[in-house]
Formats: sequence, C-alpha cells, structure tokens
Amino acid sequence: MDAIKDFASRFNTNLRLNQNFIIKKENRYFLLNPRLKKLVSEDFFHAGVYLGKAKDGKFFPSFSLLAMIAEKEDANKVVVNEMTEWFFICGRDVFRQGIVNVAGSKRVGDHTLVLNQHGECLGFGKIVQNLDEEKGRVAVWNVSDVGDFLRREH
Amino acid sequence: MSRKEFFVNRYRELGWEYEPVCPKQAIRINTMNAKESDVVERLWCRGVKLEEVPFVDSGYWVCQSKFSVGATAEYLLGLYSIQEAAAQIPVSLFTRLQNKTVLDACAAPGGKTVQLANLMHNSGAIIALDVGKRLIALTNHLERCRVKNTIVYLMDARQASRLKLKFDRVLLDVPCSGNLTSGPDWFKMRTKEDIERNAAVQREILTEAVKTLKDDGEIVYSTCSLEPEEDELNIDWAIKNLNLQTVKIDCYGEKGVTSVFGEELDTGVENCRRIWPGQTQGFFVCKLGKRECV
Repeated sequence: MDAIKDFASRFNTNLRLNQNFIIKKENRYFLLNPRLKKLVSEDFFHAGVYLGKAKDGKFFPSFSLLAMIAEKEDANKVVVNEMTEWFFICGRDVFRQGIVNVAGSKRVGDHTLVLNQHGECLGFGKIVQNLDEEKGRVAVWNVSDVGDFLRREH
Repeated sequence: MSRKEFFVNRYRELGWEYEPVCPKQAIRINTMNAKESDVVERLWCRGVKLEEVPFVDSGYWVCQSKFSVGATAEYLLGLYSIQEAAAQIPVSLFTRLQNKTVLDACAAPGGKTVQLANLMHNSGAIIALDVGKRLIALTNHLERCRVKNTIVYLMDARQASRLKLKFDRVLLDVPCSGNLTSGPDWFKMRTKEDIERNAAVQREILTEAVKTLKDDGEIVYSTCSLEPEEDELNIDWAIKNLNLQTVKIDCYGEKGVTSVFGEELDTGVENCRRIWPGQTQGFFVCKLGKRECV
C-alpha cells in the first residue's frame, strides 16, 4: 500500500486511504467500500475503484486515483486551456502558453496533475520548465492522459 | 429461398414489413458524474447537436457531429456513454435500485452496468459477470465512468449460483443472434440453427438466474434479437417452467407477440415489449418476477 502513498507524495500531498479497504490482486490495487468488502471473494477480476498497478518497481496509477489526488487542495496542479486540453489527451506535452493556472510546485522535475478548466483531471506530467517563466516551449511532459482509454481499444 | 427471404417472411408473419433502416447513434449522460444540462451544453459548444430520446431519461440521439463522439474529453472523462437508444431501456425498468444488490449476468462491454451504477448513485453493489477478453472492455468502461460499486468476475452466467448470493435485481441482457441493423451481412451470417442454439443458452441463463433471485426480486430479460425463439418463446417457456410471471411495463415498443408461427403463448407474454427496427435497432425486453410475489 506504500506504493499508493508514495505515488501521491510525488504531487506534494498526503493521500490517506483506509488500508483495511484496499485489496491487492496480483500486482493491481483496488479500493472497496464496506458493502463490497463483505461481498467480494478471492477470485474477483475487478472490484470497487481500481487504483493502479505496480510493475518492475514502478507504480502506474489509474485515472480514478489521479482524480482522488486532484481533489486534494495542496496537490500540484496545472489548469490548461481548451486547445491544450485536446492536445494533452492526444498524448502531447503541455506548452507554457497553454497553462492558465498553476497550484503547488512550479519546480523542474516535480510531478503535476493536469486539469481542464472544469477542474477535471486529464492525467499527469513532469514539470520540465520552471512554471514561473511566462513563455517558453514545453513546460510539462505528458506522462499519462485519459486518451489512454481510446488507445487501449486499438 | 434465400436466408434473407426466410427471415423477412418470418417478420411478416409476426406483423412487420421489412425495410432497411439505419438507427441514429445515441449517448446516455452519466448524471452521477456531471449535471445533464452542463454536458449537453459542453457538447453543443463543440458542435455536437443532440436530440432528446423521448422514451428514456438522460438519453440523446446524436443528430450532427463533425467528429466521433467517442473521442471528446467529456467522453474520456466518463460524463457520457455511447449506448444505443433501445439498449437504454432494460435498466430503466427496474424499480428502486438504490442500495440494492444487483446481478448483471452478461455484463460486457458494460454500457448497462454503468447505467445501473448511475441509477444506483454508486450505492449498493453490482456483481458483473462475463467471459473472455470482453472483461477488459468492461473494466475499462467502469474505470472511465468512475463506477465504484461493482465487483467483476470472470464467470459464465450459467454458473451464477456458485457465487452463493441472492440478488434483489437481475439483469439478463443475454447473448443473442443480433439483428439486421448490425450490418448488411447479418442475413448471410445467421441460420435458424444459430438461433435455436442461442435460445437454448438463454434458457440455461434464465434457469440459473432464478436460483439467485430473492423471492421479491426483479429480473429484466433483454435481447437485440428479433427472433421469437430468443424472445417471446423463451419467456413463454420461463412462465411455464421456472415459476416466473411477467410484470406490466410502461415503455417504448409493441406488445409481445402471443401467437407465434401457429403456436399460442401464455397471455402474460403480452407484457413484453418488441421493438422493430426504425428509430432504434431491433430489441426485445421483458420484466419478470417470481409468480407468488408478482
């Protein structure tokens, strides 16, 4: 379960999930509610909220987990404009000009969530240019975005 | 006689004159994730023109769009699902879904599972079953639409009683032969033998579902087949063999056919709804309960 806590800390926030309701199936983590916990049997394929998977020492978060982290006020976030939203979900990086708001860290090397102007989490990336600078080229590398749902289908 | 003639003649006997149709694409807004009017407005701003489907809540036909409605940010964020209009009917027929324990016995790819979770406001529990690679599509759909109340098992619906659970509501959107709106080759690909084989599997699923149903529970049975073997004849068989009774429903479609190729069926079959292709694909739906409780 440390994998999830450690992952959230990359966004400079502390995500506290009730450990009693997190279950692991092979390398995948799920968050249950009390009702599901009572009903679930060992041979389940998916249960409750999928949180992500650990593979080769890395943690790959689900978009549900990212949305949970995005609800934390102190988490690193950038809000992007509509055009950048589209490019980002197509797998592209974020240019400084496309960012309309920054919360939390602006430091190069930190991770940040990428939100649209409705406050919805589109994915996350790594800051590659100090976000205090007004202009410049790529500011946030795309690490993962919700366009993945489409890419999985193909 | 060609296969097409065979099927067209059958439909004529059941009261429908065949004509090629192309149903409109439809979406259903996931109101657990966003306000319906907000999603409609956001899509409108993107140039997607929608028209309300009159017979389901939160359902819209896509009248105009310059791009695929399966590739918008709103779709990827789970604010709506692409779900054919008639396919939105079965889940809407259940009463009082909140906090219930629900079996979705043939769940993939998950359109109706998400609809259930939406109407349940993510409360209670859904147990979703299916087999093979279809489970991946199902779980992707659940994740995209932020469903929180579902447990998925790799399990054939015909083994559902192994779960040793009793359900308040059971959705049987059973595997079927499909219908002519699925593509021009449908007539070439289907035979009477296929239909009879599917009908037999559907009866096995119905039999198993009854074992898992609470005494006051509800079953909704649906197919996208127009073949009476998979529809009215199966329901007639369930009434006569599984101690089930149909429940009157108020929804789009025509009454179930009670006289099928010279065979007179139980009058309760009239409570079913048969939807001939037109505005929607072809569809069949029926609500059932245990006889002593209906």
